[in-house]
Amino acid sequence: MPAAGAGGAVRRLAWRLRLVFLFAALAALPYLLSYSQQEIAVLLVINVLLVSSYRLLTLTGEWSLGHVVIMGVGAYASALLAKQLGVPVPLSTLLGGGAAAAVAAILSFPLFRMKGFYFLIGSFAAGEIIRLIWKRFTDPFGGPKGLKRIDPFPDIEAGFLSIDFYEPVNYYFLALVVVSASLFVLYRIERSRIGLTFHAIHWQDRLAESVGVDTFRYRTLAFVIASFFAGIAGGLYAHYVGAVNPTRFSVDQMVYVLVWAVVGGTATFHGPILGVVALTVVNEIVLRALGLDTVRPLIYGAILILSVLYLPNGLESLGTRLRARLQHWRGGPAATGSEPA
Amino acid sequence: MSRKSLDRKISRRKFLGTTAVSGATLAAMGAGLPRVSFADGHTIRIGFLAPLTGPVAAWGKPGLDGCLIWADWINAKGGVDIGGKSYNIEFIGYDNEYDAAKARTGATKLIKEDGVKFIMMLGGDTWPGVQKVAEREGMLFSTLLPSDLSPDSTTLVAPCEVHPIYNVTGVEWLAENRPELKTAVICAQDDALGKPSVATYLAAFEAAGIEMQDEPLFFDPATTDFAPVMTKLLAGNPDILCLDTCYADYVHPLCEQAFQQGYKGQIISCTADFYQKIIEKTSAEFMEGFIFQFPDFDDPALNSEGVNFVNPNEFYAEYAKRYGASEWSAVSWEYASIMDLWADAAGKAGSAEPAAVLEAMKAGGTGKHAFGTADWWGTELFGIDNALVGNWPVVAIEGGKATIKEFRSIPAWWDKHKDLMVKHMTALGQMWNQRG
Amino acid sequence: MDLLWQTAVNATYAASYMALIAVGLVMIFGVMGVINFAHGELYMVGAYCVVFLYAQENFPFLLAVAAGLVFVGIVGIVMERTMFRPLRDNPLGGLIASIGFLLILQTLAVLGFGRRMGHVPPATQDKAEIFGAVLTHQRLFVILAAILLLAALWTFLRRSKFGRALRACAQDAEAASLQGISMNQTARIAMFIGAALAGVAGALTAPLVSPTPYIGHSIIVTAFIIIIVGGVGSLEGAVIAAVLYAFVHTFVTTFFDGVIANIVGLALMFAVLVVRPTGLFGARERA
Repeated sequence: MPAAGAGGAVRRLAWRLRLVFLFAALAALPYLLSYSQQEIAVLLVINVLLVSSYRLLTLTGEWSLGHVVIMGVGAYASALLAKQLGVPVPLSTLLGGGAAAAVAAILSFPLFRMKGFYFLIGSFAAGEIIRLIWKRFTDPFGGPKGLKRIDPFPDIEAGFLSIDFYEPVNYYFLALVVVSASLFVLYRIERSRIGLTFHAIHWQDRLAESVGVDTFRYRTLAFVIASFFAGIAGGLYAHYVGAVNPTRFSVDQMVYVLVWAVVGGTATFHGPILGVVALTVVNEIVLRALGLDTVRPLIYGAILILSVLYLPNGLESLGTRLRARLQHWRGGPAATGSEPA
Repeated sequence: MSRKSLDRKISRRKFLGTTAVSGATLAAMGAGLPRVSFADGHTIRIGFLAPLTGPVAAWGKPGLDGCLIWADWINAKGGVDIGGKSYNIEFIGYDNEYDAAKARTGATKLIKEDGVKFIMMLGGDTWPGVQKVAEREGMLFSTLLPSDLSPDSTTLVAPCEVHPIYNVTGVEWLAENRPELKTAVICAQDDALGKPSVATYLAAFEAAGIEMQDEPLFFDPATTDFAPVMTKLLAGNPDILCLDTCYADYVHPLCEQAFQQGYKGQIISCTADFYQKIIEKTSAEFMEGFIFQFPDFDDPALNSEGVNFVNPNEFYAEYAKRYGASEWSAVSWEYASIMDLWADAAGKAGSAEPAAVLEAMKAGGTGKHAFGTADWWGTELFGIDNALVGNWPVVAIEGGKATIKEFRSIPAWWDKHKDLMVKHMTALGQMWNQRG
Repeated sequence: MDLLWQTAVNATYAASYMALIAVGLVMIFGVMGVINFAHGELYMVGAYCVVFLYAQENFPFLLAVAAGLVFVGIVGIVMERTMFRPLRDNPLGGLIASIGFLLILQTLAVLGFGRRMGHVPPATQDKAEIFGAVLTHQRLFVILAAILLLAALWTFLRRSKFGRALRACAQDAEAASLQGISMNQTARIAMFIGAALAGVAGALTAPLVSPTPYIGHSIIVTAFIIIIVGGVGSLEGAVIAAVLYAFVHTFVTTFFDGVIANIVGLALMFAVLVVRPTGLFGARERA
């Protein structure tokens, strides 16, 4: 295997160069966008974390309908910590992630007695119960109206440097840093022994058990980690928009996350990210620019159906297919090695 | 092992490649679209930031439709005269899908890219997302839900719909005209609209000496079968059945159930959209005397002196012609009436700039509300006097037709009974300083 | 006593239409392994069939209901052919496609009938009194139709060749196809029946609810709770759970309030999931 040696060094260099290019592109991005598109970009970056954390959970083969509610747990916790206890916002966001992880840990006891479809529905039920608690207990959760005037991320004032996080471009960079760091951690987890075990549980759960893997513990671990990052995404959201309410975390919103993940494809790390980027651009920018307000949901629905029908492995498979086609035209051998497993 | 490391290289490469491509796509989209398109010198743009799709669109879209009529009429007359010059009015809509974050994006787009001078909103869940934008940009906003008002937002006004305060007028009228009614029950959906309205009705009933038979009955907004709700309400055979501010899709089945379960007493409600259809489902006798707060705009009483809404009967006819009578609802005229107020203030200020318009609007502490000159009010309830409160019509169904019985003064009620209102609002956690 | 009777009558009605919807959902899941998220929208389409044919075009009520049944059944067949068949090996894809379909149906309803509620005058205002409780004939229709349709379905599944094929596919699709049972044919019939049941529930209850393009959402959440309590693969379980849920929900609404009733309903579902994840009557586990 040519992983070591000169070939390896070249590849490593290429990968670093790409990383540099990627971040350069992401850094330049807001300056190519209009002000309101910068706002969309902020929410998009937050949703990237949401959907990527969701993918970690799906590695074990479980699909949850409660992930957005878990994001909400992070958002509510962080908002309440900042509002009521005066915890500084960066810390409250982190604690919000912790709260989301803790709720997930508790929920894992009933939920991981279930599998597959039952888990899907069970997570939906658990989420609905959490939402009802928010609605029912006006103190401290604010009832159906939720919480507003949530403290924003504090401005940075250090001599000549002054950063105001009301400006979407500044919040974009803040979110980009937090989300990139989170994605890096998620990526490392997936590539680690733990991540491989998640895969093993998905594909061979009986086998994994028979060689002594405690599948319950690993499922819980995946759920807790995924929930932590969903909670962070919730905190980023709450302190940017300044308001949360139970409707914002309803199953309708969950459907979007599911759709991003599936349309993008969940076989690879970047699939769900592709999904959320592509669909957000289509829904928020292209369809709006076309002035198609009433029929927007219809077009969105048609895109969903067509993409699951004709791109069953998601958008992520599109690149592979194109490359294979290109190779074929050039007369070279098809790049079979890059087909997703 | 070697297979694994190969995968790893490939997926890293793909990850970076595709992410860069998608980033570039996004950038290209952004660059390709027009960034700023300010209006020409003869047109003033007004933002309309409300749900235009989804379940809440019924409180947004018909309002935009009404505004288009308003704009056509004004522009046909040569536009609005501001500082000696005539301007056409153009409405720019943005669908916020009743989501706070999308409302924020919409607000910044309308302000920074469309150059609007005033933004009308439905409010509710969407307002908290816009609050900061309003404070930073100094833009003038209006809401249909006065519960959005707070002392922090000086540029938000509730100049038309003063929900739910006007509900006191119906109860007061009922107590005066049917003093034999002594007991009441109330039900409402458990949401941001239902609760403050319940508090208002409880205060109004208490002020009128009408006794509540039971605690208010709250039901989930997803309810579709209202038989059990009605069974419970009618268990004590109340004199008055109060339907609070239930949406039309609750009011209809509630009335149908009350009829079927043999109720013969008085009904009072905030709204009775499509009441002809309720009569079809029940009977003319059953609905006779039903009290609510939203007149038909073909009601001749709206032409009486003091009503500021311009050509209400013609407006209704034009709306029904363009969009169909079945699309008509309270919000069809409310946003348009706010535009009357805005145009008047802009004319007085000689400027369309938000700060100047707001100042002119509130000058003297009174304003031309759709239903007559009214006071800027609300310090005790909302912490700021940005709600325009005056007379409100009490409407009764008579002979199958909604008929304005009287325009009654809300401030007159408030002066006598404000303690009761504050008490009940506090009990349900609806005072401005109690809200999240 | 009156209150108790009236509540029981109310609950019986609620149980009837919920059973129709839940049985349809279970049927689709059983044969195709797909959770049809658009099931609530099929109910909505059924209701709008009555809005259009009966309320707007003045056809007789029962004719409109029958048309609704057939039309929504055909919509089901279209869904099967265009989405669920190509996605047979991809249940998650089927779920996503049904979400896309739901958005399309909602938008079409808005375009065709406006975003506000549809109006359906009652087919009859007659009512019966049972021990002092009122039961309108309109509601009685729904109860009778539910009993009739579910009994017919039960007989069909037990007696006919299709019925056996259907059950075979639900139990083990591969084995069934080895037995020479056409999976396509079976899925088509199951989808027709499942969708038609939702459609007929919508059509029958259209005069009693206020159909809006978005009513499906309220319906699907309740239907989920019911099929979980009943056990996802079990038709009988769906019926029994519908009765159980309707009685619990109706009684709690009447004696406490509607919001508490929802909490109790969800708690019931969660309790069932924890104690017996496959539902009260479900046996199979589907990964």
